[in-house]
Amino acid sequence: MDLQFSPEDVRFRQEARAWLHDNVPRERRPHAGEAMRAFDTAWQRRQFEGGWAGVSWPKEYGGLGLPLIRQLIWHEEYARADAPDNHLCFVALNHAGPTLIARGSEAQKSHHLPKILRGEVIWCQGFSEPNAGSDLASLRTQARIEGEHLVVNGSKIWTSHGHLSDWQELLVRTDPEAPRHKGISWVICDMELPGITLRPIEIMTSPNQVHFVQCFYDDVRIPLANVVGAINDGWNVAMSTLGFERGTAQVRDQIRYAYLVEKMIAEAQRRLGSDCALADDVIGARLAQIRADMAAARAMTYMVMSRAQAGIQDSQSSLMRAMVGETQQRARRLALDILGPDGLENREEDDWVYFYLRSFSITIAAGTSQIQRNIIGERVLGLPR
Amino acid sequence: MNFLLSEEQTQIVDSLRDLLVDQMPVARFRPPAPQLGNSDQSFWPRLGELGFLGIALPESDGGIGLTAAEEMLAYREFGRHLLSPAILGLTLGAQLSARLRPDMLEAILRGRLPIALANPRGAVQLGEICHGQFHLIDAKHAEWVLICTADGAALLRRTDFTDVTDVAATDHVLSLERGILSGARAACWRGATTESLYPRAQLLVSAYAVGLAEATRDMAVEYAKTRQQFGRPIGSFQAIKHLCADMAIRAEAATCQVIFAALVQAEARSGADFHSTAAKLVAVQAALDNAAQNIQVHGAIGFTAEADAHLFIKRAHVLEQLWGDTRQQRRLMLAAAFPDG
Repeated sequence: MDLQFSPEDVRFRQEARAWLHDNVPRERRPHAGEAMRAFDTAWQRRQFEGGWAGVSWPKEYGGLGLPLIRQLIWHEEYARADAPDNHLCFVALNHAGPTLIARGSEAQKSHHLPKILRGEVIWCQGFSEPNAGSDLASLRTQARIEGEHLVVNGSKIWTSHGHLSDWQELLVRTDPEAPRHKGISWVICDMELPGITLRPIEIMTSPNQVHFVQCFYDDVRIPLANVVGAINDGWNVAMSTLGFERGTAQVRDQIRYAYLVEKMIAEAQRRLGSDCALADDVIGARLAQIRADMAAARAMTYMVMSRAQAGIQDSQSSLMRAMVGETQQRARRLALDILGPDGLENREEDDWVYFYLRSFSITIAAGTSQIQRNIIGERVLGLPR
Repeated sequence: MNFLLSEEQTQIVDSLRDLLVDQMPVARFRPPAPQLGNSDQSFWPRLGELGFLGIALPESDGGIGLTAAEEMLAYREFGRHLLSPAILGLTLGAQLSARLRPDMLEAILRGRLPIALANPRGAVQLGEICHGQFHLIDAKHAEWVLICTADGAALLRRTDFTDVTDVAATDHVLSLERGILSGARAACWRGATTESLYPRAQLLVSAYAVGLAEATRDMAVEYAKTRQQFGRPIGSFQAIKHLCADMAIRAEAATCQVIFAALVQAEARSGADFHSTAAKLVAVQAALDNAAQNIQVHGAIGFTAEADAHLFIKRAHVLEQLWGDTRQQRRLMLAAAFPDG
């Protein structure tokens, strides 16, 4: 049990801090469309050229081949430097890439991984369907094998940034007769293929905010060579993806939120200070509690990282995920309450009101809080189904 | 960075747990156990013999020479087994006297000089000279009494308290008295300015609270697996399953923050006050909420003295009040400097 980092880790941290200090883009990140894509890909490319992309990815595909602890340090320094989150690169860097590393063929890895690290491509996720949300394994988008191709028909939904993406990690049903977890395949889908149409979906944050698309597939022909892992083994492949989603990238968010709470305390001091001492106000009590909860959430992330380092694979990380998400959501609500009457103004896309509205997704995306609790109950505590 | 127990730490925890399961089972409080007072102090010499009272004291002081991390792990087990919180008087009293009253140290470390606790009732004045009203916890047979607040830590004689009167304790397995200090001189006093003992006191109370949160989680889960209604184990119903999941989340959050706070102290890093206060807030809340939900999961039997569930909620309330309640911890939390990096 220790909080220590090796001298090499400390040197890595110093170098990361110095590089980020000199290279983090200072201009504001656009929130939509091609401008956002250009910003995110340029920032990813800058990280790659600086020698910081894919810290724990294998060297042969352009990564640095370093241990997980260095990835943690990179994320910590990234958040500390207040570097912009390149959300468009998130799926590629945190789901698709790690899945290909774990399960992809040599050809798939050497074609896709370097492009991801260089910021040349955007990936999106095609998992949820209109009738397969929490019950993902009931998905019905069908793919029949014709010669060297899969022919896909159906629909995917809640695809973040699908309209700005080049590639999609797509789950399809390749054997409708098999038990539901055993007839699914994980396939790399080119978003330019004929037969794909997209319907933009506005989200609740502000008018004209297109975040999701619904994808329709009408006889879309995908080469069989794009299947990752074996045909009908896609559920297992997808589970490795979700594992990564719940892994190291959380750390960056954690630290960002810890700094957010510090900003919230300063803002509350500024706004409420003239009314009464913050410590005597209910806002002060809530800030104190969220400060403590945020510290605990970060400590839980360290525990998850410790288990991953030791090679322990289990569902314990679902405890951290539930705590982290719900604490972040509570922080966003508190930020709104600090604004008081000014919370009625939704002025900009990166202010506290916008992110308050956005925070409703935290306890839904990638497994609702309720599904997390089923997982905790059954897989961590061993309660009967 | 590693939050997992080392092999040595696992051995310490296992041997302590075996001992407590054998010697201090929670069932010792079941009726018709005596309802007043607490005989746990007769166990202190055994803990002293095994080194647990000076686990984090340097060997040159007669301790074991381990750190706040091992001490935290021991307190987690003490909490699981509802050891009298007066044990804090010995651990902290040893750390206080090591420098100020070395003549007392050996007897404390052997568990032969019981030190009970005094908890302020409202505002008190602490220093070389102490004033105020207090509760004395499990102090019937103790010669000495420890007070440890954010202002500092003081060791006094039981006879320094006047107007001592028995009161019925909410946590009925502890003895509780009211007492007054009016200008009593502390035998030892360490203010908060230099090497405050308070973060350690917060840490140990928090670790004890983690023990409560874990024990109640385990009790609820065990019951939910075996109790059948509607022809199924009740744990198969989401309403119960999610209560258990909430308990697991709280216990894990508290465990992790307490580990973080312990490591900050063990490695003498900055932010001891920030992390220990966060630990007390999170761990005490987890102990209170888990203890309450454990009663709910048990249903009617949870409301009786025949099940152990009620002992844990009562003890959790003692921990909440001990040396600064939630309201005061929040004030400290808001005032603590943010440890950056």
